[in-house]
Amino acid sequence: MLLSLRGIDKHFFGVHALRGVDFDVREGEVHALVGENGAGKSTLIKFVAGAEQPDVGEITVGGEPVTIHTTQDAFRLGIATVYQEPQIFPDLSVVENVFLGRELRDRFGNVERGEQRRRVRELLASLHLDPRLADRRMGALSLAEQQLVLICKALAQEARLIIYDEPSAILTQRETDTLFGVIRRLQERGVATIYISHRLDEIFEIADRVTIMKDGQVVATKPRSELTVAQVVELMAGRKLHTGIEREAHEDEEVVLSVGGLSRQGDFDDVSFDVHRGEIVGFFGLIGSGATDIALALFGIEPADAGTIELDGRRVSIGKPGDAVEHGLALLPKDRKTQGLFLPLSIADNVAAGNYPLLSRLRTFILRTQERSVARRLMQSLAVKAPSATTKVGNLSGGNQQKVLLARQLVGRPKVVILDEPTRGVDVQAKEEIHRLIFELADGGAAVVVISSELPEAMRLADRLIVVRSGRIHSEYRRGEAESAAVLAAAIGGDGAASGVGGDGDA
Amino acid sequence: MTDVVARRPRVELPWAPALRLLLVERTALLVILLGGLVAFYASTVADFFTFNNLAGSTAFAVEVGILALAELVVIVTGRGAIDLSVGSAVSLASVFFGELLTKYDLSLGPAVVLTLLFGLFLGSVNGFFVAVARLPALIVTLATLFAFRSLALVITKAVPISDLPPRLYDLALYWHGIPRQTLLVYLPVIALVYVLLRFTVYGRHLYGLGTNALAARFAAAPVVFARFGAFAISGLLCAVVAIVTSARFASARPDAGTGLELQAITIAVLGGVAITGGVGAVPPVVIATILITLVNNGMNLAGIDPIWQQAAIGGILIGSALLNSFALRRYRLS
Amino acid sequence: MATPNRTHALPATVGDLLRLRTIGWREALEAREASILAVLVVMGIALGIAYPQFGTLDNVDNILLAVAQVAIVGVGMTMVIITGGIDVSVGSALSVCAVVVAMRIQDGAGIPEALVVGIAVGAGIGLVNGLLIGLGRVHSIIITFGMLNLLRVVSFKLTGGKWLTGLPDTLNYFGSGTLLKLPFAWWIAMAMAAVATYYLRRRPTGRHLYALGGNAETARLAGVAVLKRTIFVYTITGALVGVASLVFVGQAGQVVQTNVGYGFELDVIAAVVIGGTSILGGKGTVIGTLLGALLVGTIRNAFVIVDINPLWADFILGALILLTTALDLLRRRGRET
Repeated sequence: MLLSLRGIDKHFFGVHALRGVDFDVREGEVHALVGENGAGKSTLIKFVAGAEQPDVGEITVGGEPVTIHTTQDAFRLGIATVYQEPQIFPDLSVVENVFLGRELRDRFGNVERGEQRRRVRELLASLHLDPRLADRRMGALSLAEQQLVLICKALAQEARLIIYDEPSAILTQRETDTLFGVIRRLQERGVATIYISHRLDEIFEIADRVTIMKDGQVVATKPRSELTVAQVVELMAGRKLHTGIEREAHEDEEVVLSVGGLSRQGDFDDVSFDVHRGEIVGFFGLIGSGATDIALALFGIEPADAGTIELDGRRVSIGKPGDAVEHGLALLPKDRKTQGLFLPLSIADNVAAGNYPLLSRLRTFILRTQERSVARRLMQSLAVKAPSATTKVGNLSGGNQQKVLLARQLVGRPKVVILDEPTRGVDVQAKEEIHRLIFELADGGAAVVVISSELPEAMRLADRLIVVRSGRIHSEYRRGEAESAAVLAAAIGGDGAASGVGGDGDA
Repeated sequence: MTDVVARRPRVELPWAPALRLLLVERTALLVILLGGLVAFYASTVADFFTFNNLAGSTAFAVEVGILALAELVVIVTGRGAIDLSVGSAVSLASVFFGELLTKYDLSLGPAVVLTLLFGLFLGSVNGFFVAVARLPALIVTLATLFAFRSLALVITKAVPISDLPPRLYDLALYWHGIPRQTLLVYLPVIALVYVLLRFTVYGRHLYGLGTNALAARFAAAPVVFARFGAFAISGLLCAVVAIVTSARFASARPDAGTGLELQAITIAVLGGVAITGGVGAVPPVVIATILITLVNNGMNLAGIDPIWQQAAIGGILIGSALLNSFALRRYRLS
Repeated sequence: MATPNRTHALPATVGDLLRLRTIGWREALEAREASILAVLVVMGIALGIAYPQFGTLDNVDNILLAVAQVAIVGVGMTMVIITGGIDVSVGSALSVCAVVVAMRIQDGAGIPEALVVGIAVGAGIGLVNGLLIGLGRVHSIIITFGMLNLLRVVSFKLTGGKWLTGLPDTLNYFGSGTLLKLPFAWWIAMAMAAVATYYLRRRPTGRHLYALGGNAETARLAGVAVLKRTIFVYTITGALVGVASLVFVGQAGQVVQTNVGYGFELDVIAAVVIGGTSILGGKGTVIGTLLGALLVGTIRNAFVIVDINPLWADFILGALILLTTALDLLRRRGRET
């Protein structure tokens, strides 16, 4: 047994992220880790990669108990992780990127460039990659090629286990095939792989064993041969959901937002949908689905190349966020810490940001008192738990931070509200509250779009649920029309290879 | 990643709250330092603590203080923004002003207006390269520092322009012991910048940019325009200083601004402006201006070699930068 | 590690040094160095034809002499900028070193002592810079800006505000001596450049400088000794300022003015940036800096020969810095989609 995790438990500020997880990897095996967003896969992997530590539990490598505090520790144990965003030195050559920090030296202490180059070419060739990559500038390579180089780097460091965290989300079909070829070659060399992905077709192509996680627990670990795609989907989604939500359909209301044929090269293609007044349209898609890109296009952060957007029946052009706001659109961004909040500033400052035209006199002057009173009003209606409107947002819990950001969007009483992953990193109670707020929002007459990669949430909130996959709209379901397993299958594409446009929009 | 809130509790020493106050509230620290300095000089240097001396020293404070406010506006926008060219811009604007008054024989009013516009233009050059072309502010303003300076020297062949209209010098006269420019120029500028940063939407945009430029973008802030504007305002303020120095020196000098950028940046940093952006306010910068001015003033009165003032500035810059860095890392959140 | 890190192999050939072998002809041609060389050649020919006195050996020697100091310090500044920093205190540091060296030779010191003293003082200054920047975590512009003024005061105080006159001709060879028809000072510059090029291309810690400038966090995680490298580049720059001060004293001959070095940092930074080193760090060569220094010197010289006000040169240099930086960044952004 190469790697073994036993009895792993982890709490994240009120959320019981992992409970009693057992997970192991044999030498030279390809072990796939699947589960929905929030199932706990990434958290588990962070322990192995040295980015986090479990609260409870034991990790052994090669039979010896270990503690992995840092990424260096992980390296030394022969564990390497390949992330979606490669950490590289763009101006240095591929060879140098592979060997930086552990350069080969000759007897004078000089860098042994010839030998390093030879080894990298050898490594590339052994993985059936083009050896000429070695001489290229790292920054000139495509994202996929950079990932492959980092794999070579792991190999050069004599890694015994390589972890891939949703790699194929940004790769084309061909690049994924190349990656799989590499993984197989690695297997021949006795290097084990943990492959995290939701693309079941790929999993079934490459994995020896599959572990399915759900809600922070391991549901099953079985050899691939003993599973079918349908079974995996069923295990991932769990039992039929009782949403218990009764809401009227709103399709006979007027159409507030109408999107037609929206496309952006490389990110999404031919996206068309309508949102009615008072309706909640849910977009469900897994990582790389492109849903966030669509939202960013609607809000003007990264406008689409082609297609139309109509608001209240009129064609509008949205080239920058200011345009979107002017037309009554609001966006709650996916990553509240980097894209949304000004963490060192107060709640009042954060709520006011973006709403200056409304809060100011003559569009120029703005008073703190005004900002504060507006903030207080919203803090109350959204139940933000904080000492006052002057509290620094960085001091708040995730749920309260999200509410503050939501408050900002609501000041202007927008016609259309787009919420991207509104309950990410938020504790259970705040999640409930935010869901309630979303319902109220729609009841108040707004047209709401919720993007979520968490199936229970999407199914609970959406009056109409649109499944997005690889940058395209795949299918649509009305509330209560479909079972979660079916929706998940649609999102995953267990029925065949995904046609690859998809990007992920992570800024 | 874990939520920010889950932090290891720090063992609080008895004097920790006071220390925190001093390090975080720059105004408090500066007031204490100012008080100490005044007390020190008052007791050791003759003629220091007189109305005439203190009021008179503000003549210098006006010039360097306005530039410090310009740096405040620029540096607050973050992403390494800084304006190294303020001194040279003052020199060039002075020359422009002088030429208008002498060679082109314009009267004072139009000359002032045109010079202010010229200052806006100079600032816009910086603004274009930094905000639109997105080049690093450091290298852009370093380049314009040299370009502006050399232009000023070339145009005047390094000779100051005298023969300015005498009415101009009225600006530098004293009114009941207080230099006129302090009342007529510095105070209004302080008020304007204060209002701009604290009470206007544009000011909010500047701080937002410096705190989190991406979030500012998502909040529909006009990112490019705001940055561009900060440099343009800096240029405008340089032109104001150029006019004041011309009045005070009774001539338009091509070296009018030499060394002013160091003083301005030092005062800004001492005044609590964070080089990383997003942090800084007018009151502490003004107090820092007074502090530096009095440091120099006291040294002059005490007959200390003026060269030591330069050393003091250099030392204060490094010292307060280290202090800022330490305080920000210790007490600031993400 | 199962595989040994030391292997036996032939030492690098000169071809490696010229970058041609490892990156291929096409990329070498694209490189900034080629552009500058081309510009220099074109300028040289054009000026030489229009103004015959330009092409004389005497004039060429003048240029080389004038920029030797810039080139020497430029070698260090290149390394500083590669790591993503900057040092605007070199002019004042030059002043301090020159004063100390001049005072020593006035007291009868010989070349070896002058050399040691100059380098020691320079390196000391650089060390202070490096420590403040590395430990204080303050941006290099602020620290070196402050040091710029502090050092001015130091140099002034050391001389008591007086000029140092009547210097012995101990360092004349540094200043105006020639070796094989080229100024000795330029040979020093080339020697420093050769050593630095070797270090930057062949030593692991030299490559680490590029990594540091390219992506500081990743470099740290990869095991680069960030603090040590930071202190190193500023210290070396200081030491090179010390070397340049000997050239300065040798050139200045009888009088050392205490306003030496004003504007020196502009020429040095211009030489480095125009020579292809990116102000953002992670990229650049010492050879490019030498060529950049030559370009700066040629431009200044051209102004004199063509009889244009030499003050325009600063303006041109400022504009050139902007232009080359813009080009560099445009190229970078064009590459990354």
